[in-house]
Amino acid sequence: MSSAALERQIRPIYDALDTGSNKSAIVDCNKLLKKHPKNELIKSLKALALVRSQKVEESLVLCDEILAAKPTNDAVLTAMMHVLRGLGRHKDTVTMFEEAYKQQPSNEELGAQTFFANVRAGQWKSAQQVATRMYKQFQEDRYLYWSIMGTVLQAEEASTPPAMRTLLYKLAHRLITSSPTPSYLSADRFYLHLSILRELELFDEAHKLIESEVGGNICSTSLSCNELRREIWRLRGLTKEEGDRAKKLIVEKKDRNWLEFLSVLDTTFISKGESAEHVKETQELFTQIAEQDGQKDRSGLLGLLELERRARENGVSFDSSRLVTLMEQYFDKIGDKACCFEDLKPYLTLEGEELTNWTAFLDAIPSSFTTLNELRRLINSYKMVRYNIPQSDLTIEAETSRIQLYTKKYFEALPIGADLPVTELQPADDLALLAGSAYITVWKLTNEERYLFEAVSLLEYVLTKSKQSFLTRLLLIRIYRLLGAPALALEHYRAMHVKQVQHDTLSHFILSRVSMFSLAPIGDITFATECLETTQIYLSNSQETSDFIVRAFTSEKYSQIPEFIEFEQRLENSLQRDIVKMEHVRMRLGHEPISSDIIDMELIELKFLYDRTHHDNRDFNILVNYQPRISEGLNEQTLLFGKGEGLSWLRAFLRLYIRAFQQGSDLDDMVEEKLLIGDRPKHVVEQPPLKERLRKNASDNAAESAQQLTSDELAFVSFADELANWLEPYHDYARPPPAVVLAEAAKQTVLKTGHPLKGVEIPPQNGTNGSHKKDDEPPVVIEPTEAIVKFFDNAKARYNEVKDNASPIDVLHVAALAQEAFLLFNVETLRFKTASVVKANKLGGLVSSFKAIRINAISVLKEISADLVRRSESEGTSESRKTFVDACTKLITSELDHDFVLNIAKRVSDSRKKVLEGIGKGMGKICSSYSH
Amino acid sequence: MSVLRPFKACDMFKFNNINLDIWTETYGIGFYLNYLARWPDLCCVQEAPSGRMMGYVIGKAEGSSTEWHGHVTALTVAPEYRRLSLARKMMNLLEMVSDEIYKGFFVDLYVRCANTVAIEMYEGLGYSVYRRVREYYGSLGIGRGGRDEEDAFDMRKPLSRDPGRRSVRSNGRDMIVSAHDVS
Ligand SMILES: CC(C)(COP(=O)(O)OP(=O)(O)OC[C@H]1O[C@@H](n2cnc3c(N)ncnc32)[C@H](O)[C@@H]1OP(=O)(O)O)[C@@H](O)C(=O)NCCC(=O)NCCS
Repeated sequence: MSSAALERQIRPIYDALDTGSNKSAIVDCNKLLKKHPKNELIKSLKALALVRSQKVEESLVLCDEILAAKPTNDAVLTAMMHVLRGLGRHKDTVTMFEEAYKQQPSNEELGAQTFFANVRAGQWKSAQQVATRMYKQFQEDRYLYWSIMGTVLQAEEASTPPAMRTLLYKLAHRLITSSPTPSYLSADRFYLHLSILRELELFDEAHKLIESEVGGNICSTSLSCNELRREIWRLRGLTKEEGDRAKKLIVEKKDRNWLEFLSVLDTTFISKGESAEHVKETQELFTQIAEQDGQKDRSGLLGLLELERRARENGVSFDSSRLVTLMEQYFDKIGDKACCFEDLKPYLTLEGEELTNWTAFLDAIPSSFTTLNELRRLINSYKMVRYNIPQSDLTIEAETSRIQLYTKKYFEALPIGADLPVTELQPADDLALLAGSAYITVWKLTNEERYLFEAVSLLEYVLTKSKQSFLTRLLLIRIYRLLGAPALALEHYRAMHVKQVQHDTLSHFILSRVSMFSLAPIGDITFATECLETTQIYLSNSQETSDFIVRAFTSEKYSQIPEFIEFEQRLENSLQRDIVKMEHVRMRLGHEPISSDIIDMELIELKFLYDRTHHDNRDFNILVNYQPRISEGLNEQTLLFGKGEGLSWLRAFLRLYIRAFQQGSDLDDMVEEKLLIGDRPKHVVEQPPLKERLRKNASDNAAESAQQLTSDELAFVSFADELANWLEPYHDYARPPPAVVLAEAAKQTVLKTGHPLKGVEIPPQNGTNGSHKKDDEPPVVIEPTEAIVKFFDNAKARYNEVKDNASPIDVLHVAALAQEAFLLFNVETLRFKTASVVKANKLGGLVSSFKAIRINAISVLKEISADLVRRSESEGTSESRKTFVDACTKLITSELDHDFVLNIAKRVSDSRKKVLEGIGKGMGKICSSYSH
Repeated sequence: MSVLRPFKACDMFKFNNINLDIWTETYGIGFYLNYLARWPDLCCVQEAPSGRMMGYVIGKAEGSSTEWHGHVTALTVAPEYRRLSLARKMMNLLEMVSDEIYKGFFVDLYVRCANTVAIEMYEGLGYSVYRRVREYYGSLGIGRGGRDEEDAFDMRKPLSRDPGRRSVRSNGRDMIVSAHDVS
């Protein structure tokens, strides 16, 4: 057949792959392969279709066959690139392209692909070598710059020792000066050049470049280059020159970049003796700017404030009333802008007479308003007064009367925004958020949930007037969770349309400790699904971001490359990502029957997370904070149990689950090494084996753990520890040897694919078929410790302690952890459920200890379950609604009327009922699933 | 009083106060990375001294011969920082770079016909409607706008390379094209 004819037949395969019809792609491939059994392209397309239909083993076989033939055909290479990416085998992609390029060293495209493969795999050293080779061969400047960038990135790797780092930067410097064309031909080459000079502290050379005419032009149009220039001047100690330059820009070019003002401020205080004089000069300059700009720009005015603050710091301020005068002046001019409070925040920390004067000024702001500007002034004054409330005035009475004031003003202010389109935020919103903040304070002071009832009623009302107010929603989400009404929190969360990267930064609002609300045991997997949805962004990151790093190389935007890499790393190693993963595992164990498959699968995933260097990308600043500076912030106040999860929380939970799964699994490190497909994560430093570290790390960072874990979580963690310590020797003894496990895996592969397991050599076994003879005696069976035996009784006691708390979250928390402990116990004891294992290992004594623990646990869980169900019956009733509505009587007016509040009462109470009942019934279900 | 600086990839972790606003779309990470990988000098951020993001602009350069121009893909300022001339300053920068670096003939942008605040602002900055594009946007789901919600105005402002103002016209609001006529 002619090649054109073959091409025509291959086309539909591509189409099928493009539209996701992998099955039909496989069928087509098989058909064509009958006629062309040696055709690499068809084989590679088949491999791709197989990977995409999750037929990993089959695909692997084909894959290795194609790679062994060392393809050079463009289409084959491209298809294989996708196959290998799907398998997570980036290193093999590199090898494949390297082999191809070696065969055709004059093929520029292959060279570039080899370079990119290295870039995608983050292998900077070989990337640099490839680029160097390409530069020699093809004499294109860009390849020289690729090799320079590769060298710099290699230097920047965490594993590069300091001396090597310097050497690499020196090499980069040598290369860039050898370039036949000067770097200033492009802003991004220039940027790369400057960053190398900065690193090597070759400031004179940098200065020369920047001062040249072209260099100056680049810095005046490229913000990135100018950023670098600024830094180099600072490092060089050219504060004065920088100040002069900034002054010129401010005066002549009317530049109002705040960075220029900071530069002027920096010069003002460089020579100690002359500061007073310089302060005067700067003062004149800023005053002149402030007058010129009026309300158009705040820089001059804010510059004056910052100048005074620094003058005080340097002991050259001679007018003690000046700071407050300037603040007043600022307020007069900018008080009607929403950001005035934030602008002045750094200066608000006043004491004594200054504070008195300032507060008097704010109190004099008219509290009536007819225009938007007057309203904004009032709101700003409220925020600033509130900021400085002293402890003595943070009482229930004082806060209650503030709530009344804020609420009253809120309703008065509504007409001002009445004509705004629905897409706009209402200017009155902030007053309600102030009231919401004060409600939280009173709730904290009294622990009475009626204040939260009032708060949600008001805030729900706000949303009817200001549909887009995400700040109101965020506070509502927090309060609904505190009230044990997770479904309502979720509703608001969804209404914000969180998407893409926001899943990483915002999902903590809804997914923090979410397993305690999970109804997975009774089949409602809403929250588990929510967890899975957030994971999509991490997948996109690992699949797409490297493509853009490649693109930045092709378009030679060197300034972006380190930024992209940082972004990729921060998302890949996101703390929130793994917290969510942890929550998902906790929910999964309550949903699916615990089996060795789950144990193996989760073990492999969790193990890799433990050694990550985590980045915390969670956005907590998005929540407003109008609380007084002496108080806890609104974020901390509204976290469940007042404790936010951080690295210690994550490590504590990861550790206990990895340990339990390791014990329960047959995959020890050696087996896993052989069976796992895809690249392992890079490790910066060699560490002792994970298993050892997990055993030792029990008490690392106890103080921090105590801050992040609740006392009930800590009790659960130590139960898990004791359990694992107790059972480790028996697991280690009873676990089949690697040879047996591998043989079994090989058998399964043959059954599934018809091919033997590739690349795995099975060590010879003694004995046959798993019934291996052990040389040593089984470990002596010892009794479980008190902490294990007593755990469930303690949980019951804890439950009774918090049983009468108004909000259901305490009982839910204790109940969820008791259930989790029971599930963990089932993970730990699964191996010993098989009678033959117990018999072969002579562990009958151990199994009878399990029985007692299980019986006790079940009786405790059943009791809790029954109580939760009973409690749920008192929710969703007319009484529960009445309690709610009665708490809100003060709030009820003709606008926010009784029916409105009643409806919210109903929703809150129904939501609580649902979760109490669901968790209660779920526990009952788990008790019967694991009754023996 | 704000810091004008380049948009950086990691700003995606910080832009919630801006992007949770209904007029501002949050795209996939590839969208931002693509712009940054190609036109980083047309993407910048305004930041408060506290480090909080206040607004950003994302732009590109495109077109051939006399249609070569700078394009504003997204311009947005967080609600609490509006009316502080931030949008004006970011537009200034984008126009300057489109003019001096890319040597474009004009700058253009698309805006929902219902977004009167933005349209008036652009007019104040020297832009004028070049044409109306039918169903350029998906629905915002707020209902009220009807056609104006989904249609876009293509607005333009000539740069120094177009002293004869050939890239604009006075009757642009009446020139109606469909979405697939524009790229
Ligand atoms: C449109 C938007 C970017 C304006 O940002 P901004 O920083 O507030 O605008 P500026 O302060 O620079 O305003 C410049 C001029 O535009 C006009 N303007 C801006 N907002 C206005 C408003 N709400 N009402 C009337 N005029 C307005 C004014 O003439 C203003 O000058 P002035 O303050 O000296 O009178 C901002 O409202 C926004 O982010 N909106 C949501 C996103 C959006 O719509 N983007 C545009 C889509 S292409």
